[in-house]
Amino acid sequence: MAKRIGLFVCWCGSNIGGVIDVPRVAQEASKFPGVVYATDYKYMCSEPGQDMIIKAIKEHNLDRVVVASCTPRLHEPTFRKTLAKAGLNPYMFEMANIREQCSWVHSDEKEKATEKAIALVKRALAKVSKVEPLYESHIPVTKKALVIGGGIAGMQVALDIADSGHEVILVEREPTIGGKMAMLDKTFPTLDCSA
Amino acid sequence: MVAAAQHPKIKLMTYCEIVDVSGYIGNFEVTIKQKARYVDHSKCTGCGTCFEKCPSKVPSSYDFGLGTRKAIYIDFPTAVPNKPVIDAENCRYFKTGKCGICKKICPTGAVDYEQKEELIQEKVGAIVLATGFDLFEWEKAYGEYGYGRYKDVISGLHFERMSNASGLTGGKIIRPSDGKEPKSVVFIKCVGSRDEAKGKEYCSRACCMYTAKHAHQVLDKIPGSSAYVFYMDVRTPGKAYDEFYRRTVEEGVQYIRGRVSKIYPSGDKLIVMGTDTLLGRPVEVEADLVVLATAMVPSKDSDKIAQLVGCPTDKDGFFQEAHPKLRPVETMTAGLFLAGACQGPKDIPDTVSQASGAAAKVVALLSHDELATDPMISQINEALCSGCLVCKGVCPYKAIEEKTITERVHGKPVERVVASVNTGLCQGCGNCTVACRSGAANLKGFTNDQLLAEVDALCR
Repeated sequence: MAKRIGLFVCWCGSNIGGVIDVPRVAQEASKFPGVVYATDYKYMCSEPGQDMIIKAIKEHNLDRVVVASCTPRLHEPTFRKTLAKAGLNPYMFEMANIREQCSWVHSDEKEKATEKAIALVKRALAKVSKVEPLYESHIPVTKKALVIGGGIAGMQVALDIADSGHEVILVEREPTIGGKMAMLDKTFPTLDCSA
Repeated sequence: MVAAAQHPKIKLMTYCEIVDVSGYIGNFEVTIKQKARYVDHSKCTGCGTCFEKCPSKVPSSYDFGLGTRKAIYIDFPTAVPNKPVIDAENCRYFKTGKCGICKKICPTGAVDYEQKEELIQEKVGAIVLATGFDLFEWEKAYGEYGYGRYKDVISGLHFERMSNASGLTGGKIIRPSDGKEPKSVVFIKCVGSRDEAKGKEYCSRACCMYTAKHAHQVLDKIPGSSAYVFYMDVRTPGKAYDEFYRRTVEEGVQYIRGRVSKIYPSGDKLIVMGTDTLLGRPVEVEADLVVLATAMVPSKDSDKIAQLVGCPTDKDGFFQEAHPKLRPVETMTAGLFLAGACQGPKDIPDTVSQASGAAAKVVALLSHDELATDPMISQINEALCSGCLVCKGVCPYKAIEEKTITERVHGKPVERVVASVNTGLCQGCGNCTVACRSGAANLKGFTNDQLLAEVDALCR
């Protein structure tokens, strides 16, 4: 089946739009094989931006999406959720970072920055052409915690977890708990006792 | 301490060590070694008759040799649990086979010389490292302070054991050399901290405040005494901290900005030579006692714990947090969290805050019945895998395991070993895919095929 890629290029206000010719990036990259829809918008991560993606997925029957915007560390989870909302597997997605890796570092070479942005978007389009749906698996959780060290830190962690109703094993290598804190006399700045 | 020991949901395991950790988030399997106490704590009532009558005395390391303890002992009177253990190395019965007094007089028959260490298996969903700190061994680095030869040059923790009302001196500050009360006490800050040449680059954070407290205690407890503090900077960024420091200055603690170049004995006194850099001239102070604010370093054997649980450490050996600002209590291993000074030097308020933070992360994890795993993890194509297991060696998360598969070769079943990815442990770093010569290891979401397509697009 032919791939149906949707491309969404973000201005990030003037962060990207002030340097890169964003509409040109969308237009050039739309020639890439498989791209059936390409557009640009001020803030792709905003609610209207995400709605645009959902609407385009449905109207153009897209099966995979590229967003060209900021670092995936920031908004990859956001856009994955957007895909899931539109009924696509959230891993049928790729981001092109044209902000941190392009507009922010090439602000004095606008023409070349636009060329580089096009190349980065093509890279993402090539990747997204090859992606396959991925599925999370589920693992059980043993509802018990182990705390290694019975000083003030270990005791506080153990008490807080135990107060939530979960079981805790507090392991201390010395014969008694308290650690360094138990050795102390009064403690600053209130001079209350440490025991 | 008592609250932790009495909480119905906390199983306290003292005198224990972690010997093995396997598994992954939500499903760790831990082997804990219970060291032999030679006292059956289920029978012991903590009456204390045994350590009253024990004939073997040894210097108390807990109290920096300020006094002695017995071979069957508890470290301090309010210890939790308040039940003794036998230090076999110093016990007359273990050394000579004779004595056995503690066993004879124990009213509940709790003393058991035959007790053996025991291995205990536990399954847990989350692990918190709270292994704390030790003090920098200044005796090995600072010749100018006497390499530990002068009895009256002590560490801050040593000072605490004297000023502690439940310590061996009953809270009286004395000179370890002759037991006399010191009239002139010199404090030296940044011993081992902020000293690239002899110690550590970092600031130990708590010393400015505890030195201020110590100096205050000297003036408070010893009438007519004087306290001097040699410092590089005074760092008091905490709630009510600077106020506390100002108070000690107003009480009469003399702060001298400069380093100490030499300490030498003169009669029964110590002469502390330094420079006052604000006045721009050398100073000499006659001291009865010198207290060093020594750097915090990772606790002994924390490197072994790091290896067991697979937690990276930083350049100084402290456990490495997942992100210095945004994920300070998490590690790069899912389900493994950090609390307190094992992550970096901290004072008590910061330790308690971080501990509660770690607890919140653990509680959030344990509130799930099951966890969704990131699907972008490695997978092995068994048909291509040669079983060389190079991938196993480069995996930082211990996520690659050996697996024996049966194949049919010329119609006969043949067994061979291949690599197998533990989906709970794999973090999707991709190390194995780079190391794999046969191209059997592939990272889902970053397959070799996908990466080559990207390179092609960029080179076109």
